[in-house]
Amino acid sequence: MPAEAALRCEHLVKTFDTTRAVDDLSLEVSPGQIFGLLGPNGSGKTTTIRIGLGIYVPDGGSLLVLGHRDPLEVRDRLGYLPEERGLYPRMRIDEQLAFLGTIRGLPFREAKRRAGTWLENLGLAENAKSQTNELSKGMQQKVQFAAAVIHEPDLLVLDEPFSGLDPVNTRLLKDLILEQKTRGATVVLSTHRMDQVEQMCESICLIHEGQAVLTGKLDEIRASYGKSTVRLDYDGDASSLEGLSGVREVRDSGRSASLLMEPAADPQEVLRQLLDRVRVRSFSLEEPSVEDIFLDKVGYDPRHEATS
Amino acid sequence: MNLGKVAQVARREYVARVRSKAFILTTLLIPGLFVVWGSISGLLQRTDIDQLRLSVLDFGTGIGANLTEHLEGIEELPIIIEESFEVGPAEQDAVRQRMSNLIREDDLDGYLVLRPDDEILARAQYFARETGNPVIIGRLERAVSVAVLENWFSGEELARLRRVQGADLETITVSDEGEEAGGFWVAYISTFVLGMLIYMMTLMHGQQMAMAIVEEKSSRLIELIIGAVTAVEFMAGKIFGVLGAGLTQLAVWIVMGLVAVLFVLPGLAMADGLMEIGLAEAFSIGTLSYFLIFFMLGYVMYVTMFAAIGATCNSTEELQHAMFPAMMPILIGFFSTFYVMTNPNALASRVLSFIPLFTPFTMFARVNVAEPPLWEVWLAILLLAVAVVLSVYAAAKVFRVSILMHGKRPAIVDIWRMLKTA
Repeated sequence: MPAEAALRCEHLVKTFDTTRAVDDLSLEVSPGQIFGLLGPNGSGKTTTIRIGLGIYVPDGGSLLVLGHRDPLEVRDRLGYLPEERGLYPRMRIDEQLAFLGTIRGLPFREAKRRAGTWLENLGLAENAKSQTNELSKGMQQKVQFAAAVIHEPDLLVLDEPFSGLDPVNTRLLKDLILEQKTRGATVVLSTHRMDQVEQMCESICLIHEGQAVLTGKLDEIRASYGKSTVRLDYDGDASSLEGLSGVREVRDSGRSASLLMEPAADPQEVLRQLLDRVRVRSFSLEEPSVEDIFLDKVGYDPRHEATS
Repeated sequence: MNLGKVAQVARREYVARVRSKAFILTTLLIPGLFVVWGSISGLLQRTDIDQLRLSVLDFGTGIGANLTEHLEGIEELPIIIEESFEVGPAEQDAVRQRMSNLIREDDLDGYLVLRPDDEILARAQYFARETGNPVIIGRLERAVSVAVLENWFSGEELARLRRVQGADLETITVSDEGEEAGGFWVAYISTFVLGMLIYMMTLMHGQQMAMAIVEEKSSRLIELIIGAVTAVEFMAGKIFGVLGAGLTQLAVWIVMGLVAVLFVLPGLAMADGLMEIGLAEAFSIGTLSYFLIFFMLGYVMYVTMFAAIGATCNSTEELQHAMFPAMMPILIGFFSTFYVMTNPNALASRVLSFIPLFTPFTMFARVNVAEPPLWEVWLAILLLAVAVVLSVYAAAKVFRVSILMHGKRPAIVDIWRMLKTA
């Protein structure tokens, strides 16, 4: 094994009453990378994260966080942005940031100084004395991110950091996350946004029903699927894509589609059939996208709730 | 437990409390309430009368003239005698009619009727528009009885009687340390006022604390905090923060009280009465030391219960219903002090003072009123301290399990399970 893993879970189990939220889950996060934690709602992502942060104690399995079995021993080196955001509604945000820094081990003065610097960098210096409920949602999210990193954690866990952000703030947040990586932090990114995973993560773990169904380096995973996916841009009737021989699944998006081919299928044959049915604007043979892999592994169920 | 983190949580809690509007308002308003309450009871004692126009009707006792003299001699009441005369049996009704009409037309404030009596010479009746002032009634009563006595006795005998009549009952409290004059009023005032303080502050701050925890829970802040600090550190920090705020409030009130006693009261007329009661004795160092012990231990115990209950609730509405069990011991404790004060050594009082849930009120009352044996006092304090440790421990467990739980509130059975397993 190369460097010591920033986070390693082996055969983790966590049960709430009768539901098994995490079921024999193993994963490993190498230091210094951005790691994507994927999975549908209720798959056990948040529970896994909470175990890794020492908020929950697992019922079984072993855990190694920054080289320690008990996350609480290294709690000042961990940073966390929870999925459901929370700040004290009636507390000045500079004091709030400083407080959240001190409970992660910063001395009070240092925490205050850094809170000031962060608010300056985020363009919120004028709002330092405002209370949370006087800020816009985007501003609150920025403050929340600063709270997660003010103590410069070695392991930073971000649970759905992009939810509810407009494109400008998404871009800003992405830069901030990359800054943390540059600083040397390991980042665990839990998200539904497949495009973000594709752009940012080196490795991923796909969790489904409490188990890791797929884990490893993103490049390798995609390569293992081979160039077995047809990316098609077309004009025509979607129903005419049904029943193509050599295609096991069609994911239609209206004017474009992903065609998942059967292992032995010939792409030439598929193209020939398509030419008879629709007007083809573009046809390319590619590795599957993360979204394709996600849907392939988890299975597409239309009754399932959309992403939160 | 990391004390540095406890201190940080406590610091935030303290600052948030002390800066809150509720804190500032109650700190200023509650002494105001005491002043209002004091003034009202002061007013009851006072006679705010420019003049009291009275008439005396003697229905044949022969002491009317004497009574008139005594009435005019009452220093506290500016009495003006309008008419004083003997009334024959035939005219009695007509004269009374006339006098009552004078009262109705506001030409007279009241009149006394003296009727002959076989046993005590004369029975007096007071007719007036206002008969509720205890001071006026008391003075009139005394004047009548003096007039009767002077009619029956004379010389040395009368002088002795008058001296007996003027003597008050002096009360002296006997304790292990010695004897102390002052007695009931001293103990009553200090027990009531200080007990009231514990009652108000624990109820108020306990509820605020529970509310704050529910807020932290429902805003999901708690997820950010738990992990950085443990549930136990978090709770301990909050309790210390709230206790600090409580002590701050208390300190402000004590300073305000001292200023009032030293600089404001001496200038007021009613101050004499209060000094007579013995304000200094009522709030002696001994009393205040015991108060601080019972206050701090009780405060932590009660507030902890509110914290645990807050941790199990998801919304303020839910909290309103759930809070009652934590309020019960405070209510029972405070209201049983009234019984304990009057019967400090009764069996029920002794039992109540050893039940830690009520000790802060009941033992404090006993200490103040009766000075029970020292071993009893310290045993109760010890039991209370043990209860404080236990309640913090139990609350920490409930807290740890409930704080991240959402959805259905745990039933008592679930809480019991938490205590056994967590």
